[in-house]
Amino acid sequence: MTTSLMINGEERSLTCDPRTPLVDVLRNELRLTGTRNVCREGYCGACSVHVDGKPMSSCLLPVGTLEGRDIVTIEGISQGDKLDVIQQAFIDLDVIQCGMCFPGMVMTLRPFLRDNPSPSRDAVKFALVGNVCRCTGYERIIDAVMSVVDATEVTE
Amino acid sequence: MADLPNRLERPLSVAAAIAALSGKTNKVVPVAGATWIMRAGSRGEKIDGTFVDLSAIPDLSDIDVAKDKVSIGAMATQDVIAKGLAGHADMAALMMATGYTANPAIRRAATIGGNICTADFAASDIVPALLALDAEVEIVSPDGTSLMSMAEFLSTRRSLGRAVLVTRIVIPRRLQASTHSRITLRKAGDYPVANLSAAITVAEDRTIRTAAVAVGGVEPVAKRWTGFENALIGRNLESGEFREIAGNYTDEFEGRDDTGAPGWYRVRLLPALADRAFRFLTKSTA
Repeated sequence: MTTSLMINGEERSLTCDPRTPLVDVLRNELRLTGTRNVCREGYCGACSVHVDGKPMSSCLLPVGTLEGRDIVTIEGISQGDKLDVIQQAFIDLDVIQCGMCFPGMVMTLRPFLRDNPSPSRDAVKFALVGNVCRCTGYERIIDAVMSVVDATEVTE
Repeated sequence: MADLPNRLERPLSVAAAIAALSGKTNKVVPVAGATWIMRAGSRGEKIDGTFVDLSAIPDLSDIDVAKDKVSIGAMATQDVIAKGLAGHADMAALMMATGYTANPAIRRAATIGGNICTADFAASDIVPALLALDAEVEIVSPDGTSLMSMAEFLSTRRSLGRAVLVTRIVIPRRLQASTHSRITLRKAGDYPVANLSAAITVAEDRTIRTAAVAVGGVEPVAKRWTGFENALIGRNLESGEFREIAGNYTDEFEGRDDTGAPGWYRVRLLPALADRAFRFLTKSTA
């Protein structure tokens, strides 16, 4: 069975077992290793990708159910060498620690800030409730997000 | 290279889905949001059989909020349901059970139909909410379409057979206000140790006319808390004492033990959950 879908703007045809979790296809078949494979239970958020613009846990998505869908991974959100505003804020404020959770955080935050351009600190925390950082750098992560809440570059 | 066996079917109608689920000799698995089946490994189970993906069937994901009833397609996701029911006090139990449970990404994928059909999921928040709201479940089989009460569905869902599809949830709008309370070990994304949904109607003098209370997470299957319900009828909502009254009826439950919590602890939480729920209802009906 072949599954056809868009990944980071490119049309792809996949012939793997359609029950395979999307995260495994991204990492093992397409070498898009920015999507992290961590809990595989939809709990940690490290494998978050955008499906038709919404952040979803790719560990829980059988790839065969994604026929015709538009997938964007962390590799697909920067514009060439220009990082997304949230990625840049994480670097500028020296937020990144081990790096395991950050791709998922960026994928969650980008549509959140698109839909909520001026969120409160608490709203940002609520949006990140499904993204776990075991380095526990949460407050600095929130600081970085709050530094860009009015940035106009956050668009889909 | 030999062709891989077809491990996924995407029917485009309810009839095609039922045909795909029946008439096969190999194992077939109906897949709604896939959030349960894809975690099979974490439960020590294997992902086995052919997936019958229900997501391409039209008209199973809508929500219709009418004056006399709410009708929810079985493939409606938790986040869509929570948004659709926001602002309706009588539907607050289901709004909370869908909008304030699990992680946001799970809420975007998990469906109401998948939730209630997962018989091994003892800690569902949606099931007690639907019990308290007197929901009915629409079932389609080769024999036609039928409605059954939520309680009947829960007691028969393991024996309905695979040529049966849950297509809608229908909730009558007879009650005035409802709520859902839950206790988890961790704040974010955790299953509840115990949960409780309550729905009531109140007279002008604030006495409780009707009360429906359902408890989940404590026993393998959620159920109504009938002794507590009966004790509430005629009581004034402002009188408080809900924790004490609930404490008199906890012997209706036999808590389940698992690695998350012992059974006695689950039962012990019930008076606190009842108190929390009825404090909320006291305010929301004022």
